[in-house]
Amino acid sequence: MNFLAPAAFVFSLLIPVVIAMYLLKLRRSEQVVSSVYLWRRMVRDVEANAPWQRLRRNLLLLLQLLFLAAVILALARPYSWVEGASGESIILVLDNSASMNAVDVTPNRLEAAKTRARQLISSLPDDATITVILAGENASVLASSSQDRRLALQAIDSIQASAGSSDMTTALQLASAIAARQTDVEVIILSDGRTTLPDRISIKARIRYLPFGLSGDNQAISLLNVGPAPGSGSLTAFTQVSNYAESSAQRRLEIYVDGFLVNAFDLEIPATEQVAVLVEDLPPQTRLVEARLTQPGCSQPCIADALPLDDRAWAVYRSGEPVRLALVTDGNLFLEVALSLLPNVDLTAFSPTEYETHYPANHHIDSLQTDSFDLIVFDYYIPPGIWSTAVLENGEGVEQSPGLTEKPLSDLPPGNLLFIAPPHSTSIFTVSGALDGPLPRAVDMEDPLLAHVNLSGVSVLTAARISLPDWARVVIAGDSAGASIPLLFAGEVDSRRIAVLSFDLHHSDLPLQIAFPVLLSNLTGWLAPGKGADLSTYVSPGMPVSLTLPLGVESAVVTRPDGSRVHLTLEEDRMIFAETQQLGVYQVSWGEREHIDFAVNLFSPQESDIKPVDNLPVFGIDSGESEGHTWLARREWWRPLVFLALAIMLIEWLVYHRATLSQLNSQASGLLIALFPRNRS
Amino acid sequence: MNSTPLFDETFLRKLERLAIMSRRAMSGQLQGERRSTKRGQSVEFADFRPYSIGDDFRRIDWNAYARLERLFIKLFIEEEDLSVHLLIDTSKSMDWGDPNKLWYARRAAGALGYIALAGLDRVTVSDLGGSIGNGSYFPPHRGKTAAFDLFSFLQNISSGGHTDLAPRLRAYSARAMLPGPLLLFSDLMDDGWSDGLRSLARRRYEITILHILSPDEIDPTLSGDLKLIDTETSAAVEITADFDLLARYKTGLAEWQEEIRRFCGARGMHYVPIVTSLPFDELLFAWLRRYMVLK
Repeated sequence: MNFLAPAAFVFSLLIPVVIAMYLLKLRRSEQVVSSVYLWRRMVRDVEANAPWQRLRRNLLLLLQLLFLAAVILALARPYSWVEGASGESIILVLDNSASMNAVDVTPNRLEAAKTRARQLISSLPDDATITVILAGENASVLASSSQDRRLALQAIDSIQASAGSSDMTTALQLASAIAARQTDVEVIILSDGRTTLPDRISIKARIRYLPFGLSGDNQAISLLNVGPAPGSGSLTAFTQVSNYAESSAQRRLEIYVDGFLVNAFDLEIPATEQVAVLVEDLPPQTRLVEARLTQPGCSQPCIADALPLDDRAWAVYRSGEPVRLALVTDGNLFLEVALSLLPNVDLTAFSPTEYETHYPANHHIDSLQTDSFDLIVFDYYIPPGIWSTAVLENGEGVEQSPGLTEKPLSDLPPGNLLFIAPPHSTSIFTVSGALDGPLPRAVDMEDPLLAHVNLSGVSVLTAARISLPDWARVVIAGDSAGASIPLLFAGEVDSRRIAVLSFDLHHSDLPLQIAFPVLLSNLTGWLAPGKGADLSTYVSPGMPVSLTLPLGVESAVVTRPDGSRVHLTLEEDRMIFAETQQLGVYQVSWGEREHIDFAVNLFSPQESDIKPVDNLPVFGIDSGESEGHTWLARREWWRPLVFLALAIMLIEWLVYHRATLSQLNSQASGLLIALFPRNRS
Repeated sequence: MNSTPLFDETFLRKLERLAIMSRRAMSGQLQGERRSTKRGQSVEFADFRPYSIGDDFRRIDWNAYARLERLFIKLFIEEEDLSVHLLIDTSKSMDWGDPNKLWYARRAAGALGYIALAGLDRVTVSDLGGSIGNGSYFPPHRGKTAAFDLFSFLQNISSGGHTDLAPRLRAYSARAMLPGPLLLFSDLMDDGWSDGLRSLARRRYEITILHILSPDEIDPTLSGDLKLIDTETSAAVEITADFDLLARYKTGLAEWQEEIRRFCGARGMHYVPIVTSLPFDELLFAWLRRYMVLK
């Protein structure tokens, strides 16, 4: 027991004063009476009760001394060191990442952290300000510098488990910003340490880290992928199971295809190792593959390891419908072969005459519903309907046609378009001559269209000089004699994708390079994504999903794994969905029966490796206090002492007036009897 | 001591109408107005008895002789005086109260003594102050002429410090042989009161206890934590005078008076409780008559 104000013990000098006053009070005033004979007779009766009488007198003194002692103790502000927070301001940083779902502490790490946070809040001094920061997928401040404990507790209660990662860096930056405004700040991090940390952060506060979690015993499905087996129509599922525990584990991997168990493997996974499992010969119409990790010989439900969250994984196979591709060319072997070799492509080749017969210029809109293509490749050909009127035969045209800006796309064929060596200007770009011998150069090596494309050694004989329209970006530029023209540009016009390759393939050695099929694959992949093809293969929890839906779809419904539905309004056929906190299979549906599934999996070694980190390697802590000292917080005891003093005072009053009270009581009852004599009979 | 005269003339004249009651006949020493156990000369016939030699033949009833031819002597009731003993407790505790108990006792003794003197009785007064043999003594007097001696004697007695009631009363009963009414003026606030009264009861006195208490002894007006000092013995008793205690004091006082009354009743004594706040007229003309002390 320590005291904040030991000077108050000076008041203990009052104790002898009270005793002295009591003794003075006991030195009775002398009163001479005729004889004490009768008094003595009576006191002799009283003598029988003397011990009690003495006790009663002493009881009063005792109570007074107790009262005084309690008040002095309260004034001295005693406190004891308890484990807890002691700062004037406390910033609680709670981690609710996936690893906090581990059940190695009951009920789980997050609940334990929340309970601990509540304890910390309740042990705070009254005037402490509380800030609650949630270091989740996106760090957020739930309660900011509030003295209202109820608010802080509500904020703690509102924290829910998530399957995402934790953004401790941002959370600590927030804490740092808040701490800068306050004094005597204590930042308490409640986490299991499985989080990204800043290399160095300067927080003007004491930082404590309360680790949660006991064991790192966890096995996880760290990868699940489904793809077509090369050379056969069947599918192959690739599964990787990781053991993050310090000892080897016996686990059973079950593979479900569209809800039916098709295979199971008993795995012996060495400590901190991974085991890959290849499941072959899955039927080609497979839509969904699910992998489950269970304990061998354990009937479901069975919790095999500390973190059940990563014991299931899903993979959606989306290649049921081929991309429909039209090639309009006078004959280009390179293109035809390259396109036909692309996987999952339904290629239809037209000659320009055939194309014009099938799709008269004025029937584009009508044919949209019935017989449209996902991508039309125009090789050295421009459909007559989109000829720019300003094109001159010698290739030198005016900058732009007058009607272009008004209705630029109404006359374009439906779907996405790839123009190769356009001979004329169109309503969306303008061909203004040619340039000889441009040297291809990648504008941005990071461009996804140029992934794995090596342009070195590619020569171009001549290319159309096309000024870059404002909707497009240059992918490949061609430099020649100080001039620079776009050789390949791509962009989106009114939510349709259009790419233009400005040189004829016959006038280049590109088709002979390895870069050609890769570039073509990238281009068709971008131009004709198919349903959900632009979905990421791996969607992590909390990661936004972007999905291009067919033209004309205005709204979609996303059904989440728990059955809840989210209605989305689409902007420019693009759906962006960010509420992917749950693990499992999400279904995006639109129209009557159209839908695309995607799976959200926790393929995160950071979260699956749940071994708690005992010391958080955060550097740049300004406070130099040692850890052991900062764990302690003062708990003051003056409040119960004051209540005790009040209680003692009340008891003293009752004891002092006991006789009078009983007298009053009897008088009152006598009065009652006198008033209501009938009561006696 | 108190030099004011005890009574004025008119009051004394009123007193002459009273007399001290005596319930039994007692033999006295001189001719008086009281019926004696003896047969003697008075107007009141008592009995006949046959003549025997030596009898005064003046008292022979000749009428009877004429009728019966035998000699009978007429006997008459002898009327003799009474010895009235007045005992005044002059212990220090009696010199207390307002009105003062001792002064009240002296006045009462004076009044009763005068009544007795006026009734041709012998009156003797003793004060029970001080130690044995130390107290003053008013020897037996008769006749109203002795009244002034009596009054001056009473005026000169004063409180005599500590008194042990029991030995004083025992000594008095051993010394004063004459039977007669004995009136004891005391507050009896002494542990020996019962022993003293018991020794008196052995003599053939007709004892009346006039138990004199002052108003503040009946209803003490004390409060707070007090140390009570006995004015007589200087003994101390510590009390906390609260409501409860005073109520118990009154109960104790009533019980004590009842105890004395029962004690006296068992021994043929009269017990008259007197509070000094009682007006003196009322005491003599009402109170004492009610208690059959005076008639």
